[in-house]
Amino acid sequence: MTVPTLEIQSLTLGLKGGARLLRDVSLSVKPGEVHALVGESGAGKSMIGKAVLGVLPPSVQTLSGSINLQGNQLDALSPAARRQAVASVASLIPQDPLTALNPSRRIGPQITDRLIKRLGWKADDAQRRALELLDRVRIRDPQRVMASYPHELSGGMRQRVLIAAAFAPRPKLIVADEPTTALDVTVQKQILALIRELQQQEQTAVLFVTHDMGVVAKISQRVSVLFAGKVMESSDTADIFSHPKHPYTQALIMATPRYTHPDEALRPVPAELIAQLQREIAADDRGAAHVR
Amino acid sequence: MADAALTAVTQPRARVRKPNPRLWLSLTWILIVVVAAVGAQWLAPHNPLEQDLLLERLPPLGFSGSEASYILGTDSLGRDVLSRLIYGARIALAVALAASFAACLTGSLLGLAAGYFGGWTDRIVSRFIDIWMSFPPVLFAVLLVAVLGTGLGSVILAIAIIDWTRFARVVRAETMVQSRMDYVYSARIGGATRLRILAAEVLPNVLPTIAALLALEMGVAVIVEAILSFVNLSISSDSPTWGSMIAEGRATLHFAWWVLVFPLVVLFLTVLSFSQLGQGLKDQFDPLSR
Repeated sequence: MTVPTLEIQSLTLGLKGGARLLRDVSLSVKPGEVHALVGESGAGKSMIGKAVLGVLPPSVQTLSGSINLQGNQLDALSPAARRQAVASVASLIPQDPLTALNPSRRIGPQITDRLIKRLGWKADDAQRRALELLDRVRIRDPQRVMASYPHELSGGMRQRVLIAAAFAPRPKLIVADEPTTALDVTVQKQILALIRELQQQEQTAVLFVTHDMGVVAKISQRVSVLFAGKVMESSDTADIFSHPKHPYTQALIMATPRYTHPDEALRPVPAELIAQLQREIAADDRGAAHVR
Repeated sequence: MADAALTAVTQPRARVRKPNPRLWLSLTWILIVVVAAVGAQWLAPHNPLEQDLLLERLPPLGFSGSEASYILGTDSLGRDVLSRLIYGARIALAVALAASFAACLTGSLLGLAAGYFGGWTDRIVSRFIDIWMSFPPVLFAVLLVAVLGTGLGSVILAIAIIDWTRFARVVRAETMVQSRMDYVYSARIGGATRLRILAAEVLPNVLPTIAALLALEMGVAVIVEAILSFVNLSISSDSPTWGSMIAEGRATLHFAWWVLVFPLVVLFLTVLSFSQLGQGLKDQFDPLSR
């Protein structure tokens, strides 16, 4: 039995002032495993990634629960120690390649900075590692790209650079926050394949945030389905498509358009189901408040 | 086929850079003013303070009654207008540079701190800016110089004290925008400290804005100095300034228009050049508008 890279236990997040963002979320990701977080906008998928990486907005606080990353109990650490613990084992592949690279700095230092400044690599080694990864994400002429500014690259190319930058420090965990949402469909496919390939070669654990069930099927081994900050169902990807247990999961799968049936009407998640789930969650919240 | 698609994706766009007439014209005029200011004692054909009542109100070259060595004519005390303009450039530039840099430094530092750290820092700085900007600036300047006493130093200080808010407000807003960009998140996840993020990630992206504001502010400083000279609150009357020339020329406008018009034109061109330089700099260096 392998030790999980990331283990989240009963994580509950709330805004200062009351509203709950995550409710009692537990999940774990093993080395080399891709765990997809799926749900609609506002379900709290990105919030989980932010909590792990320690970049929650200041208005959000952790109400209960714990996060264990590569043997470090993150919530028990001081802010500085936590920053160091995260920086040495985790990376982010962000959503929007247009704002995720600093427009006034060259690509090279944006990849190597972290290796040299935080992880203590030699400049030569960092340079070599960056070139190697740019090559592995199929960027031609990596030397020239390292010396370029972001505005000289296309969106798809910038996303490749970001993937290279995320994998460069040999992270144990990568949080991929909808990394293909801002790209067009043909580029999306290439990018997914690249993430999959690198992740398998490096045996990296990946927390993959998406709202696209098609992407879930292509990339992940495990899935957690979220609704209103609560995990509805968590299981193997293969099982969830063949035997979805929770009605919300069933509705989500039904809502995915099928290329094999181009004429059929879209089937959105039924409003009654959403209303019912919201009532249940509200009742839970009252119960929790009562216990406290 | 897949290869062809990849080539298309990986071909960086060529950088096209057109010459920017706005930038070059304004730089040329500013260079002329700088040369005049630096080389005043060699360039000026006459002593700007020398009065000669026999030569009063000579018209500029080309008008009847003009004299060859007084190219732009003389004022009502017989002083050479061109020489006074050239010496006036010294004071205009000294004020423009010193006052703008002082205002820029104060305002940008406060703006960066407020925009980046937010919270109480932001609240305090923002309230200060609000209060400061509720004073009418020219009246504020006149009051300040009246309190500080006339002289080059007090004019510079007064302009810096009034105009730091221009920098603080804009730099604060720009810093807030930049601080929420994904690359700042990435740097935080990469373990960079807050100060390092501010210096390496945020500041370089705010600099084009600061540079543009700085050029604009130089124009504003020239105007404010002229206004203070106009109401006799700038430098003592034995050093020629454009503002005091305009004030004197006003009295004789009907029979010696050149005493007023030439300093006005020079002032106008200088202020225009600084503001165009600001816009030109922003176009040239802002990575997003390239």
